[in-house]
Amino acid sequence: MLLEVSNIHVHYGHVAALKGISLAVEEGDFVTLIGSNGAGKSTTLRTISGLDHPSAGEITFNGERIEKLSADKIVKMGIAHVPEGRRVFKDLTVSENLLLGAFTRDDKAGIEKDMGKVFKHFPRLLERRNQSARTMSGGEQQMVAIGRALMSKPKLLLLDEPSLGLAPVIVQEIAKILGEINRQGVSIVLVEQNAELALELARHGYVLETGTVALEGEASGLMDNDHVRKAYLGI
Amino acid sequence: MELILQSIVNGLIQGGFFALFAVGLVLIFGVMSVVNFAHGELVMIGAYTIWLLHAQNGLAFIPAIGVAIIVVTIIGLLMERFLFRPTRDDPLAGLICSIGVLFILQVVATLIGGDGPSKQVPPPFHGTMVVFDSLRIPYQRIFSLVVSIVALSTLWYFLTRTKLGWALRAVALDREAAALQGININRISMIAIGVGGALAGLAGALMAPLTNINPHMGHNVIITAFIVTIVGGVGSLSGAVIAAVLYALFHTFVTVYFGGTLATICGLILMVVVLIVKPTGIMGVRVSE
Ligand SMILES: Nc1ncnc2c1ncn2[C@@H]1O[C@H](COP(=O)(O)OP(=O)(O)OP(=O)(O)O)[C@@H](O)[C@H]1O
Ligand SMILES: [Mg+2]
Repeated sequence: MLLEVSNIHVHYGHVAALKGISLAVEEGDFVTLIGSNGAGKSTTLRTISGLDHPSAGEITFNGERIEKLSADKIVKMGIAHVPEGRRVFKDLTVSENLLLGAFTRDDKAGIEKDMGKVFKHFPRLLERRNQSARTMSGGEQQMVAIGRALMSKPKLLLLDEPSLGLAPVIVQEIAKILGEINRQGVSIVLVEQNAELALELARHGYVLETGTVALEGEASGLMDNDHVRKAYLGI
Repeated sequence: MELILQSIVNGLIQGGFFALFAVGLVLIFGVMSVVNFAHGELVMIGAYTIWLLHAQNGLAFIPAIGVAIIVVTIIGLLMERFLFRPTRDDPLAGLICSIGVLFILQVVATLIGGDGPSKQVPPPFHGTMVVFDSLRIPYQRIFSLVVSIVALSTLWYFLTRTKLGWALRAVALDREAAALQGININRISMIAIGVGGALAGLAGALMAPLTNINPHMGHNVIITAFIVTIVGGVGSLSGAVIAAVLYALFHTFVTVYFGGTLATICGLILMVVVLIVKPTGIMGVRVSE
């Protein structure tokens, strides 16, 4: 198992955001977490990447316990997190953003090569590499955020609502690229409000409700589940 | 006419000093979100180091500048490690700690130099460059201006051309997103306060032969630094440099024609006006979302 989250609890002050979440990601897996606002999706990702820390429970990555490590150490182990709201460095250029994604690496040739790969996924970034991220559209900023995460050469990529606020065409483009990235061997955990898109892309799904896992299973199975259809697919 | 030219030159030199300490304040605020009220005292310690080593004990001026930079940088690093890091989640606590450091450093200066009259450091560079008959600039001031420009250019190069410089700006823009790139926030905070401290030490050392040195000289420095950073746009380094030069010219002219106290009062009024009319400052950029 690449990532194993067992029974984590996370509190913000005295608000319990996660009340015992468990999930597992196999090598090469594509997992999605769906759920309504405030269900704890972002908190789950933030706890895996070390921005938040659980008050109880364990997180194991590649056989090592990581729930107490700080975010900068966890990146080095091979987990990259594309946070909610993209959070690109707006005063820096596109290439500077991408190179910061490779902050933990020294292999110049490898960095060059991965930069090329990012530009292959997102040709638009190549055209605009010397432009400041502030001047990019929402969709382009999302591409910068994903590209930046790829530059750390992750084994596991966490994505928090990459489709938020984007036009359907761009969403489709990004969805296609996530599929490619996964096929190249990067495991993915995708958080989405757009449950239909997420369940189409992923192999496994977890449905989060008020800080707990309400349902889990094959994505195709969840798509046929009555509760999921009513609550998240609006059918 | 002569007076105007002379004032412009003096204003530019003054602007170099202002920029050196204002930029440090901006850097520390940007990266660590603390307002370092002790920044003026860091400059003061830089000036005292020159007085003690160069004027009192005969160490040559340039090595003494090096020592001043090292001493003030170390004070800055200690402040980060033992005061600002433990209080990181509480900006008010950081601010109060910095006020504590302000008083401690004033007392230290008084212990070292006594509380008698202000100290003077005889200018180590003699002579005056005669540009033309009515414009004469002492070499001491030329030296200060050149060193300020070199220091600020080096900082600019570091921040815009090196990976560590980008990392520093990234932390100032979004600390969490920076951590997600593998950037160690503690290490970047040390670099920010180290650079800010070094520049403050340098400013104090360069000012030493041109000013009165006493334990309270930091007041004027911090007032100036606040005016400059607010006019320049809190968090904007280039704004701080531009505002430093403009404000120094303004301050020099008002001082020449109306006196120094009035110049500072005008500066404070200018700051308040900017806060009301354009709170983002002349450069209009924010440091963090
Ligand atoms: N910084 C915070 N301080 C206090 N409470 C928080 C904080 N962040 C999240 N919470 C609370 O924790 C719970 C889970 O939030 P989380 O952001 O993980 O939800 P989410 O599933 O990502 O929601 P959304 O779809 O709206 O992004 C919510 O009740 C939220 O109010
Ligand atoms: Mg969320």
